[in-house]
Amino acid sequence: MIGEVANGLRRNASMIISVILVSMISLFFLGSGLLAQREVSLAKGYWYDKVEVSIFLCTAQSTGVPSCASGKVTPAQRSQVKRDLDSMKPLVQEVYYESSDQAYARFKKQFKNSPYLSQISPDAMPSSYRVKLSDPKRYDDIVNAFSGAQGVEAVSDQHNVLNTFFRLLKVVSIGAVGLAVVMVICAILLITTTIRQVAFSRRRQVGIMRLVGASATVIYLPFVIETLLATLVGAALAIGLLWATVHYGIARLFNDHSGSGDLISVIGVGDVWSIAPWLLVGAFVLALVTAWITLRRYLKV
Amino acid sequence: MIRFEHVTKRYGASTAPAIDDVSMEVARGEFVFVVGASGSGKSTMMRLATREITATQGSVLVAGRELRDLPDRRVPALRREIGVVFQDFRLLEGKTVYQNVAFVLKVLGSKRHTVKQLVPETLELVGLEGKANRLPHELSGGEQQRVAIARAVVKKPPILLADEPTGNLDPETSRGIVTVLDRINKTNTTVVVATHDQSIVDDFKKRVLELKDGVLVRDEQQGGYLRDRRFDEGRGRRGSDAG
Repeated sequence: MIGEVANGLRRNASMIISVILVSMISLFFLGSGLLAQREVSLAKGYWYDKVEVSIFLCTAQSTGVPSCASGKVTPAQRSQVKRDLDSMKPLVQEVYYESSDQAYARFKKQFKNSPYLSQISPDAMPSSYRVKLSDPKRYDDIVNAFSGAQGVEAVSDQHNVLNTFFRLLKVVSIGAVGLAVVMVICAILLITTTIRQVAFSRRRQVGIMRLVGASATVIYLPFVIETLLATLVGAALAIGLLWATVHYGIARLFNDHSGSGDLISVIGVGDVWSIAPWLLVGAFVLALVTAWITLRRYLKV
Repeated sequence: MIRFEHVTKRYGASTAPAIDDVSMEVARGEFVFVVGASGSGKSTMMRLATREITATQGSVLVAGRELRDLPDRRVPALRREIGVVFQDFRLLEGKTVYQNVAFVLKVLGSKRHTVKQLVPETLELVGLEGKANRLPHELSGGEQQRVAIARAVVKKPPILLADEPTGNLDPETSRGIVTVLDRINKTNTTVVVATHDQSIVDDFKKRVLELKDGVLVRDEQQGGYLRDRRFDEGRGRRGSDAG
């Protein structure tokens, strides 16, 4: 049996190699899609924990905002905002106050090389409340409660920025899965063609097996094993390719970014290993089902 | 062992039947020649018996099975009870004589020591001792056909079907092949030989079934190739091939 399989692989090398490559590419795209989805959920968990809702209070320069009609925020308005925030516990976990001067200092530090720095005065920097939520997903509650409150210029919604990023990843993952579907169809068609060709090249042998009363399983087995081997090799290569992409590409690109190492929480090599078994199972099922159906149709016992 | 009851087989709806209302029975341990010209339906009978094809009408019983009702998954079990030999040998070119014969047993899942015992035994039965390691292209036609016979009988089937086994062989070699088939028949194997080789039929004096245009026209014990044996003797044994 092992001899038969080895013989078959050697004689139909070019077809077998194309099955390996096509299954490699289809599973690579499938894996990319899965990784992109993992990245979305990872980054969501990471960022939503870090994100704060910032309630910016009015400055003297805040014009055209109805809630700032009375000019710079008054102490009374400010303590009203603070009281409202305190009343929203336990959703509101912690509240920090950042004064205009503190904001200016931080701004100066962040943009120390910017030519615009000289044009900004401490007065222009709004004071703000930084709110940390116990349930980050309910940021909308805070946004709704304080938008338009007296003395509040704006409630920053950092989630909007993040959501754009997440949407982008979603598109990437859907695109990858879409390509994977197309490639899987290619793989199925190619496996079908390959099996038919191999069956033709072995028609005498198969004929004798039928004639002496070999069961369908015995006749099909070499074909199924060859297909499984080729597809699993393809899957292994796809996993290797994903590993290389993550290890040399993504992980290095983002995580080695000088200074801001945790700019974006990114999937690592570990995530490749956790999707690898699924890719192998997928390849196994794909090969088994395709091979069996093809054999039932084209290789009558 | 093999029974045909009013069997008709048409390959196409509009064509004449390949065999037409044939009824016959071959008992266990018999040796039967099926004779007739090319296209008279000999091969169709063989293919019906192995369920390569199914009858259009009538019933075919082989080794206790009604083939019309036999589900596909039971066909392999039927074929394990039938050995088949063809005119063109159909050996696996890359395998030695031994491997060609052992292939059958391996495919059927025999144990290694069974293979080691049965293959040399069978090669001896067909007269190929000492040729086990030859490749098919190194053998003569007669030797190749002996390999094919060994392959057909190594699993010890109760039935052996041979479709024109001597079609590619000279008269001397043909007689050798039929002698081997006769020897196998003596081991209580039912043997059916489809042939249009007049000399072997006349030499071995077995039961003869004659087909003409798909119709069974003669069933004669110890028959000759032609219907009238006295007429045949008058013309000499090596007459022209009626096929």
